[in-house]
Parts: sequence; structure tokens; C-alpha cells
Amino acid sequence: MIAVMGRAGPVPGRAADRSPMSEGSSGLDVRAAFVEHGSSLLGFAVNALRDRALAEDCVQETFVRAWRARDSFDADRGSVRTWLFAIERRVVLDVYRARTRTPSVVPLEHAPDPVATVADPLERLGMAEGLARLSDDHRAAVVAVHLEGLSYREVSERTGVPVATLRTRVFHALRALRTHLDDQETTDD
Amino acid sequence: MTDRTPRVGAGDGDARRDELVAAALADDLSPSERVEFDELRAADPSIDAELASLGVVVGGLSSFGRWDDVAPSDRLRERVDAVGHVAEVPDQRGTDVPLDADVPRDPDVPRGAGTASDEASVTHIGPHVAAARSGRGRRPLLIAVAAAACLAIGAGGGVLLATPRDTVVAGPAGTLGAVEHVDFVGQPAGVDLDGDLVAHTWGTETVLSVDGLPTGSAFTVVVVGGDGREYESGAFLGSDVRVDCRLNAAVLRSDVASVEIRAADGHDIAVASVPPVAS
Repeated sequence: MIAVMGRAGPVPGRAADRSPMSEGSSGLDVRAAFVEHGSSLLGFAVNALRDRALAEDCVQETFVRAWRARDSFDADRGSVRTWLFAIERRVVLDVYRARTRTPSVVPLEHAPDPVATVADPLERLGMAEGLARLSDDHRAAVVAVHLEGLSYREVSERTGVPVATLRTRVFHALRALRTHLDDQETTDD
Repeated sequence: MTDRTPRVGAGDGDARRDELVAAALADDLSPSERVEFDELRAADPSIDAELASLGVVVGGLSSFGRWDDVAPSDRLRERVDAVGHVAEVPDQRGTDVPLDADVPRDPDVPRGAGTASDEASVTHIGPHVAAARSGRGRRPLLIAVAAAACLAIGAGGGVLLATPRDTVVAGPAGTLGAVEHVDFVGQPAGVDLDGDLVAHTWGTETVLSVDGLPTGSAFTVVVVGGDGREYESGAFLGSDVRVDCRLNAAVLRSDVASVEIRAADGHDIAVASVPPVAS
């Protein structure tokens, strides 16, 4: 079984099988959650905002809010990963909107990278989150093919992964992204 | 979104179908695969629907730009590790309040968007700190220690602590984002107090560095408007080590006349008069 929208953190193991509440319902294990999900959460913020410092602030803020709301977390309603992403989504959206509202004058060397032009900025945030939530393997495949424009053969030669495997990964990644974007539209409604 | 897991036990036919759909979406079918795929499409109309659906995703990806793979820095790890410790104090702000400075930020990381994160906090800070009190009447202050955006500097912990942010904005009093030094007077002997103000679109930020106040005693920071109205800005505890704080008040810098630090009984500990903003 391949977890597409799965745990992409550096720590192996089944996070869903391990309670995030190491201290009971009121005990969020911040360190463990960060080790497991911090990379994905940072990936979401960095690629949504194109500002590393701001993105790290968002990740920190996400864990602060999670810590404060730890009593409300219900493992029966979703994984800690899903919960953290839901929190971070609000944090990133707030930052994005505030940045849009308030232009700031900064030296050129401190200027953030321009965000790619898309019709709907929220769509970009949704795509960034969806990509961040993919497993590393699935994201790497879809990024190589659909963002970098490489052929499957080129990716296979670069990674050593068979073309058929890459195609299957991309297929499931696209499906997961589709579902993610649909869920967001439903939520937004 | 629910994390997705592909179907378990999908047959070889399904796997081939998925593979060809992925190849088609990337225009990566070989001539023979194209023939095979056309036959599949003729036999399974759901393929075209899937192509259309996933094609929308591919279209979104094409305008996304690049993807940066990033790994959390050790410093971010330290900052997050501190969350559970710093946030231990009882929270009276609710769970939707950003800890703009309750937990350490990285003072060495350039803030690419200037004050963006600070501005971003507005959305949530507002309702919690906008309880401006009318009149100058003093009252024993309910010290919400958790509301203090403060950290005490411990040995070896300096790199983690909130300090006045690097700023590239300069200008006269009231310039958005610029750090404006203010002089506190009246503090007891032995108390070292350094203060700055930062004007924001959403209010006024007070940046304090305090040493020498009694450990464990609570103090509040109140921003006083030109009309005498008082705007609560936050509270902090004295510590046996230097305390760095950032506190926010829902009053524009142009309307601020002074900043006061008060003991729990409401008496002023120190007051900084603030020059008017040139119109």
C-alpha cells in the first residue's frame, strides 16, 4: 500500500497508529509531531509564501496554536497531521492576506521571490498544501514531470525508478491533489 | 482533506489504465501506447472523465511555478521545541491567537516580507486586545500573564529570544514599521528599562527590555491615547533575568500620548511620554 497523501516526514513508522497525545488528551507531543510533520508543514508554507523566514514563523505559529488547542484534538476525527495542516492553512492564509493588504518597502536583496501568477491566489495555496501533503516519492514524481517538465524517461534515468512506477505515482498524486482541491472548495463553500 | 491511500488490490488492468492516463496527461505516450490507450478509452468511458478531471489539476500545476524542497533548520526545531514550555502558562486569549512573540523567533533570519507576519497577526489580535478602557481610572489589574508577549533571557538562550526585530524602515515618529525609541522615567532604582515603539497599520507595538523588576511580580503595559483612553497592551512577570517583550495595543501611533508600565495594584512603575506624530 502506498500512502499518497501520507506521512512524508523523515521519521519512519505509522504515525496514525501512534497517538499524538503522549500525555493523554491534554498532551500534544510537540517535538514528535514536529519531527514527523515539520518538513511537510514547512514545505507548504515556503512554497505558498516564497519566504523562508515567514514560513518558519508560520510553522512555529501552527505548533503554538496546536498546543493551545490540544484539548480539542480528537484523534477519531482525523490524524494529527491533518489537524496540523488545517491549523497551518489558516495561519498561511492570514499571512498571505495580510501581505497582500500591506505592501512593505524592503531592500531588493530582502525582497521575497515573486509568486507565480495564477488566476486565484487561493488556488495556489491549495495546490501548495496538496503538494506538501503528498509523500516525498509522489511529490518528487509529480514535480519532476509537471513542474519541471521532464519526461518520464528522463526522470527514470535520473532517479533509477522505472517509468511504470513513476507514472503510477503521478497518477495517484494527481488524484490525491484533485480530491484535496475538491475538499477545499467544499470547505470554502 | 483526508490523506489518501490508493485502492488496495487494484488489478493489473487498472494499474495499466492508471499508468496510461498519467502518461497521456504528460503527453508522454509512445505511438503504440497511444493505440492501446485509445482502445481502452473506447471500452471505458470513465477514462475520459478522469482525464478531464485530472487535466484541471495538471493545468493548476503548470502555473504553480517551482517547488522548493526544504528541511527545517535546527533553529526552527529549537523554536518549536520551546512551544510546549513557553505556552505552559494559562491561556486567556483563546486558541486562535497568534503568539507573535510568546515564543522565540529567529532574530538572525532576514524577514523577507518586512512586517508581513506582524501585519498578519492583526486578524486575530484585534478582538483580544481592542478592549480599550475609557477614562484614567485605575483598577487592580487582572494580570493575564499569558498575554505577555515576553520571554526571560536565560543563560545560553539568547539566540532564541524575542528581540527587537531587524528593521529596514526608518523615518520620523509614526512611520509604519520604523522602530522609535522612547525614554521611560520614574522606574525604581535598580530597574533597567529600555523601550521602543513600532507603528503599525493595526496599532502600536511596544518593545521592552526590562531587568531588575521583582521576580514573579506581574506588570502590565498600557498605552494611553491623547484623549486619555487607555489601551491594554499586555502583561509580563518580573524575572531574575532580563525580559524582552513585544506587546500590542489597538491604537494607532498617531493617537498615542504615553506608554505606562504598572504594577499589579495599578500604580505606575515607569512612564514614557511619546512625541506627537507630525501630520
